[in-house]
This record gives sequence, C-alpha cells and structure tokens, in this order.
Amino acid sequence: MRFFDLVSLIFYNLSRRKGRVLLTAVGVVIGTAAVVVLVSLAVGLRENATRQLWGINDLTSIEVYPGYSMEKMASSSSVMVGGGGGPDSIKYLTPTAIKEIAAIPGVKRVITQDYLNANLDLVYGKLHAYGGVIGVDVTDLADMGLTAAEGTTELARGTAVIGSWITRNFYDPKARPDDPPLEPPQLMGQSVKFVLIKWTQDGVEIKKTMTVKIAGVLAETRGSADGNIYMRLDEVTAWNEWSRGARINRNKEGYAMLIVKAEDPDVVIEVADKINELGFMANTPQSYLQGINSFFLVLQIIFGGVGAIALLVAAIGIANTMAMAILERTREIGLMKAVGATNKDVLSIFLGEAAGIGFIGGLGGVIFGWGGSAVLNLVALSYFASQASANGGLPPTMAASTPFWLPIFALAFATVVGLLSGLYPALRAATLVPVTALKYE
Amino acid sequence: MKNNGFVRVADLHKDFLMGETRVQALSGVSLEIEQGSFTVVMGPSGSGKSTLLYLIGGLDWPTSGSIHVDGEEIEKMDENSLAGYRSSKVGFVFQSFNLVSSMPAEENVSFPLRFAGIAPAERKTRSQNLLEQVGLSDRATHKPTELSGGQQQRVAIARALINNPLLILADEPTGNLDSNSGLAIMQLLSDLHKSGKTIIVVTHDSRIKQFSTNTIFLLDGKTVSEQTYRQATELMSQP
Repeated sequence: MRFFDLVSLIFYNLSRRKGRVLLTAVGVVIGTAAVVVLVSLAVGLRENATRQLWGINDLTSIEVYPGYSMEKMASSSSVMVGGGGGPDSIKYLTPTAIKEIAAIPGVKRVITQDYLNANLDLVYGKLHAYGGVIGVDVTDLADMGLTAAEGTTELARGTAVIGSWITRNFYDPKARPDDPPLEPPQLMGQSVKFVLIKWTQDGVEIKKTMTVKIAGVLAETRGSADGNIYMRLDEVTAWNEWSRGARINRNKEGYAMLIVKAEDPDVVIEVADKINELGFMANTPQSYLQGINSFFLVLQIIFGGVGAIALLVAAIGIANTMAMAILERTREIGLMKAVGATNKDVLSIFLGEAAGIGFIGGLGGVIFGWGGSAVLNLVALSYFASQASANGGLPPTMAASTPFWLPIFALAFATVVGLLSGLYPALRAATLVPVTALKYE
Repeated sequence: MKNNGFVRVADLHKDFLMGETRVQALSGVSLEIEQGSFTVVMGPSGSGKSTLLYLIGGLDWPTSGSIHVDGEEIEKMDENSLAGYRSSKVGFVFQSFNLVSSMPAEENVSFPLRFAGIAPAERKTRSQNLLEQVGLSDRATHKPTELSGGQQQRVAIARALINNPLLILADEPTGNLDSNSGLAIMQLLSDLHKSGKTIIVVTHDSRIKQFSTNTIFLLDGKTVSEQTYRQATELMSQP
C-alpha cells in the first residue's frame, strides 16, 4: 500500500465519523493544552527567577571567601572551651593564598576586597544615609565588569563610586511623618561626609569625619553592586585600622573576599572546583544558575506530569473509540483482507487513525495552550504590575513563556499517545482471521 | 489453454470449536476444478459449502489436507503470501455484498487497488470501465444505500474483477436478491465465465445449475453424488 493512499484512507476514515473523532479529540485537546500551559508557566517562572537574580552580571567572576574546615573546627572545638573553632580552622585569603589561586590555570586576575568594619554615617547636607563600603585594589571598577551611569568608574584617593541604589538610602532624621516623600539627592560630583564612629572600652564615642567626593554612579546591575560604595582598598584598610586601633596583618588575617576573574565562562566551574579543593569557599554565578535550573526542571517535570495525566485519561478515550470502531468495522476489516490487504496494511490504517485523533487533539491543544498562556500572561502581569507599583520593586516581565520546542513536543507527544492508545485495538484488527471478520454480526 | 486441476482439493478437513465442542465442517473433501469452468457447489445450510469456498479463497486455514490453486499450495502460505494470493488471483462476491457504505460505487469498485499500490488515476479508469461492463456507469457516484440490491451486487462483482483475477468465488450471490435480480446476476457471472474466468458459486438455489459446467454436492462436510444429495434433501424437506 502506498504511503499517500494510506494517509488518504486514514483521513477518509476519520472524516466518516467526525462527531466521535472530535469528541474523543477534546480529551486530547484538554490534556495537551494543560501540558503547554503548565510547562510554559514553569519555564516562565524560571526565566523570571534567572532574570531577577542578584549579582549575576558577569559570568567570568568567582567570589572567593575564606575557607572554614568543618573537620578542623570539630577537632578544635573538642579542646576549646565554648567550642566554635579557632583561627587554625580558617583558611585565610593571605597574599600566599592569593598567589596559589592566581596560579590556577584559567585564572585571569585576582581582585582583593575588604569591607569597612566600622559604623558609618553618610552625611549630605541635612540628609543622612547608611551604606556598605568596600575597598577594592583596582584603579578602575570597569575591571570588575561594572559600568558608570554617571561620572567615572575610576577610583582615586578621596573619591568613591556609588551603586545606583545608594541615593535611595538617604533620609532626613528631622522629617515629620506628614512630610512629602524625599527625592533621592543627586550626589554625582558632590562631596559627602563619611563619619566613622567607634567606642572606647569606657564607652566614649569617637568620631572621624572624612570628606569624600562622589566620582561616579554605577549603572544598575540588579546585583549587590547597586547597594555598595566602592573606594580604594588602602583607604578602607586605613579606616579599619583606625577603627580597631591596630594594624592589620594581611599575612595572618588575609582579605575578606576575592573576586577571581576567569579567562572564559566555560572554565569558571573548573576553576571554582580547584579553589574549593585548596580549602577556600568559591561561589560562581553558574552554581546559582545550576541550582535554580535544577529546581525549575523538577517543577517543569511535575507540571508536565500533571498535564500528562490529563493526556493519559484522553488516551483511554482514544483506545475506547478505536476498540468501538474495530467492533463496528469488523466486516470491513474482513473485506479489506479479502481484497488483498495485509496485516500490516490493517495495522497501519488503525494505528494511523488513532495517531490522527492524537494529532488533531494535539493541534487543538497547542493552539488553546498557546492562547491560554497568552491570557495568563496578560492577567498575571497586570496583577503583578499593580502589586509592584503599590509595594515597590520590579514586576516580573512574564508569567508563562512558551519555548519554541514546546508546541512541537506537545504535538508529537499527543500523536504518540494516540498511536500507543490505538496499538492494542489495531493489533486486534490486524490479526483477525478474515473469514471470522467477514461473518461477524 | 485449459488447465485440468486448476483448483485441486485433497482430503480437506476443517474443524471448528464451538465452545468446547469440536464441529467438523469438512470431512475429507477432495475435488478438482478445471480452469474456465463454472462450478456450482450445492448443499443445505451447514453442509460446509461456504467453508470450502473460503478455504479455496485463502480466507482461512484448513485443519488438514491440501489446496492447490493455479499450481500454488495455498494452505502452506503465510498471511502475507495469502494476502498477495487474494489480491492477484481471487475475486470474492458475497451474499451481503460487503460494500463500504460511505464510499460511492466507483470507490467501492477500486477499493482493492488501494492495497495493490495502484495510482488513483489508474484506479479511476479501471473502475469506470468495470462499472460500464456491469451496466452501472451512470451510478458511479452513488453510495450503496442509493442502489438496489441487484445494483449493489453488480458493484460487488465489478469489485471482484478489478484485479483481473483468474478465479471468481461467489458465496450465495443471489441469496439477498429477488428472483429477477438474482437471475440477472447469474447471467452476469455466466458472461464472465464465457469470457474465460473460472467461477465457483456456492448456493442452495437449484436454478443456478443451468449456468454451470459442473456441480459439486456437499452433505455434512462430504462430497456426495447427485442421487444421494437428492434423497437427503427430499428427506429433509418432508414434514
């Protein structure tokens, strides 16, 4: 039997029983639409989550922190009163360690960082603010993948480059509750007083005030950089030493954190693994993404599974319809065999009809699923947008996202489900003894 | 050229299981039918005549014995070979016509050609020619429900001829027809016989004998003489 004849006969047979075929296909439409909408929802949630991730703006960066060995901590806690682990259990980011890390193949650059460990009050006119100061040993923040929205990214002595959200931290301590909301100050090029505060053992407050010029405002990263104030590392080190009243020995205490830049995003995981092997703690954007992707993959499977259950119910409907069709057309099967149809011909015809019902239902399901996802986006986004404007923050850009492969997959899946549902009835039809089929009443 | 033993049946047995009871439909039937003959197989209901016809047509397998048609031993064929045999050498005519109710006459006639891999244009030409031959060229687009019983059986005969088979097997072809339509169908089969086809008709209608070249009588799954058959049928018809 020629393929064209087979296909035309399948469509002819399906068109003979339009009502029944369409009713059976409705089940497949619901199942396929459920698969498309639910998987689109899971994909949309994942894309939203990855877009709104904090700090993932540079896929070649690895954040490295001092390593805390649980083994060493456990053994040291047994001899230390109060437990908690001692300095021996910490692997510090000392200059020697930095050299070790820099020697790992694939490492392009190591940037040392330290936090300001003192109480800081930012004063601009009558306004005050809080903010975390980070000292970095680069002269240009562009080396860390940061860009300026205003001014420069270069760090000079007595200057600071601030993250895009810092200006929102300013408040007027004398403001009354019924005062209008404060407009964030324009700090670019302005001088801001950095007031460091420490206390003596007697409880006497000591203040140190420096005037720092804001040389640049960073472009929004939607990462941790938005809330940071960047300054030269030597200045921050000097302030930390003033705060503690003693010099900092980097060979002993190391640095708070390193940014390790890899030569290529592809080697980042490998480099991070080697840094971890050295006893430090390395975090990569990829590991965040992997974790998120794994979670949402499971979510996609669960959502897809829920849809597949609906499709399974539809499959039973197809099997039932095909079994009925074979009962009704038993004499026709006998006739087909009497006039020369082989078992394979009969099998192909009935399998094709079952797959055809799956295909028709799948096509309807894909169209409805796609439409459903679009409606879901419309409703959910308008809701989230109103929520975001009321509560602040960024609204999601989508609720459901239908990847290009999903309709193709859903259509193929529905067709295969139809095909499998028709397998048993079709096999029964194909193996009927012709004379028995012809005599069937 | 005549071929003696075109159909050769030797010691043919066919048993059926009816629940747990074994029923013998044919018990050692042997016969020979020559090519180009018009054979009528007569017998009362349950004599095994339709079973014999279906076994010769390759629609079922015998319990034992052999069937040779045109030199091929068909009881040893597998299902695929039998499909090929049914497609190329045999044309069936059934009592209940067995037409596809949703297909017009033309498509019913060409239906077997779909399984023979014949192109649609060729199918159309052949079926139109055959419908003309059976006198139904003006009914080509009519569905079976729009045709009389006699016309439906003519369509079925045209369908049986579509692959130009050597052997036409007809199972009670007049059984569902009034006497005039039945006579016309028998006349049509007789014309086919005259054109060189080998025809086997299974019937219990004795009028058909007038068209035949030879007659086989079956009683209780066995071939019998005409005399024995007459005696038995007379006994059966007595109150």
